[in-house]
Amino acid sequence: MRRRDFFKLSVVASSVVVTNSLNAYKTREPRDNQTISLESFPEKRPLIIHSDRPPLLETPRDAFTKAITPNDELFVRWHMPHIPTAINMETHYLQVHGEVNERLYLTVEMLKKEFKSHTITVAMQCGGNSRSAFVPTTSGIQWGSGAMGCSTYKGIKLKDILARAGLKADARWITLNGDDKAVMEKMPHFKRELKISEISDETIIAYEQNGEELPFLNGYPLRLIIPGFYSDSWVKMLSDIRVTKEYQKYYYMDTAYRVPDNADESETPEVHAKSTKPLEFMNVKSYIGYPTPNTKLYAKTKLTIKGIAFDEGSGIKELLISLDKGKTWVEATLGEELSKFAFRSFTYRMKPMNKGKLTIMAKAVNNKGEEQPFAHEIAWNHGGYKYNGIDSVTVSVV
Amino acid sequence: MKKIVFILLIATLSLQAVYTEKVKMKSISFEIPVDKNTIVMQRNCQWCHSYGYILNQGKQSREFWHKIVLKMRNTYKAPISPRDELLATEYLYKHFGKEKN
Ligand code: HEC
Repeated sequence: MRRRDFFKLSVVASSVVVTNSLNAYKTREPRDNQTISLESFPEKRPLIIHSDRPPLLETPRDAFTKAITPNDELFVRWHMPHIPTAINMETHYLQVHGEVNERLYLTVEMLKKEFKSHTITVAMQCGGNSRSAFVPTTSGIQWGSGAMGCSTYKGIKLKDILARAGLKADARWITLNGDDKAVMEKMPHFKRELKISEISDETIIAYEQNGEELPFLNGYPLRLIIPGFYSDSWVKMLSDIRVTKEYQKYYYMDTAYRVPDNADESETPEVHAKSTKPLEFMNVKSYIGYPTPNTKLYAKTKLTIKGIAFDEGSGIKELLISLDKGKTWVEATLGEELSKFAFRSFTYRMKPMNKGKLTIMAKAVNNKGEEQPFAHEIAWNHGGYKYNGIDSVTVSVV
Repeated sequence: MKKIVFILLIATLSLQAVYTEKVKMKSISFEIPVDKNTIVMQRNCQWCHSYGYILNQGKQSREFWHKIVLKMRNTYKAPISPRDELLATEYLYKHFGKEKN
């Protein structure tokens, strides 16, 4: 990967939101046109590589023309440098313990045989997807918009497992932990915590992704799937569920992966919000997969714009396209709804008539009536989370 | 595309044990500029992640880089000496620096 490619930031829609001399910040369009590596990781085709250890792989824009992201194209995001590269399936257990009547040690085989399976198609997105949109630079990996994807998962309900173990009367929280490890002992572990009363019926522990075993880099052999939630809480290589009476404080729950707890979830670089909350539900977002920026298209020739839209699970109501930088909008055709939680594909057929630059914008509206803001309207937060600006792609018509 | 091969080992007692063949992780070298302080980076910044994390940040102010080094020490418990804290910041600013945030 070459560094200079990282700085080709698209600044089409940048504008300063807060101009108070101290608190200047802005949001712009996230990085685009990042170099696809010539190297590939196990079970993955060549992707955008931000790091090899831990692996951070981003999906390029042209993958987002379809509702299902193939396994070898799905992004990869780990926090810890040590990931076990071999697993003995006979001795690999998911352990359920703590405030339960019966401690469980479940092999993947047992999960498949002894529990009812459920299948669901869900969009997955890192909370920091598109983080490179925020200026000044916010803490964490500067992702473009490819830290997302959509897959069909098969697995068992988290609730069924908790029911099998039997919750004690004062059980309130669960801590989930995977098999990836830190190098230094004192470093915080990547543990996630869920309130038992808030676990949805759709929350599953998956062993299959798009009809295959989970890819190793996406959390083989077991991964927590929480439809509608940002995937920072979808623990990979899940091996431990501890049931507790009280909320436990963990770095990745209590400090990282949080947004300001105010109406527009914003703060300024100088004064961070005092009160924060976990990321949880995804906001409405869409992305254009075709054409990609700087594509040469022929005038008076048919063009089919393609992309995807998704939200927290209310479902996509409409997808609007603008060809005049957001002044007027026209409706695109939505593809089949694979599930309320899934990517909804869209197409818009047109014929560019004039030669020159053409900017295509896409904006999704969900069933709650929420729509995407323009890139520059998004308020800043220091973790660089939850960017969902209207996407725009500029092509040349020749 | 290479697939992980799932090998089915049939043990002598006809017990079936399914193993996942050891996955070969890819190693990529992220080159950083060489100068007298590269050694400071080598001894402090390679334990927990690749240099990719640094390159990914783009050009940043001195204050930004200093905060990163402090975060590695305070939050992630990297044992960075006060001297290396300054040298690492200097190195990062020299090669990946810009005036303002
Ligand atoms: C003790 C382990 C450890 C050491 C040593 C370490 N880091 Fe980090 N670093 C981390 C962790 C953990 C993260 C966050 C990982 C993640 O989110 O994927 C991180 C993230 C980063 C990031 C991404 C930006 C951010 O805010 O998360 C940069 C840049 C970085 N480190 C630079 C450095 C530099 C420079 C050094 C050497 C001075 C260093 N690191 C040494 C653990 C370490």
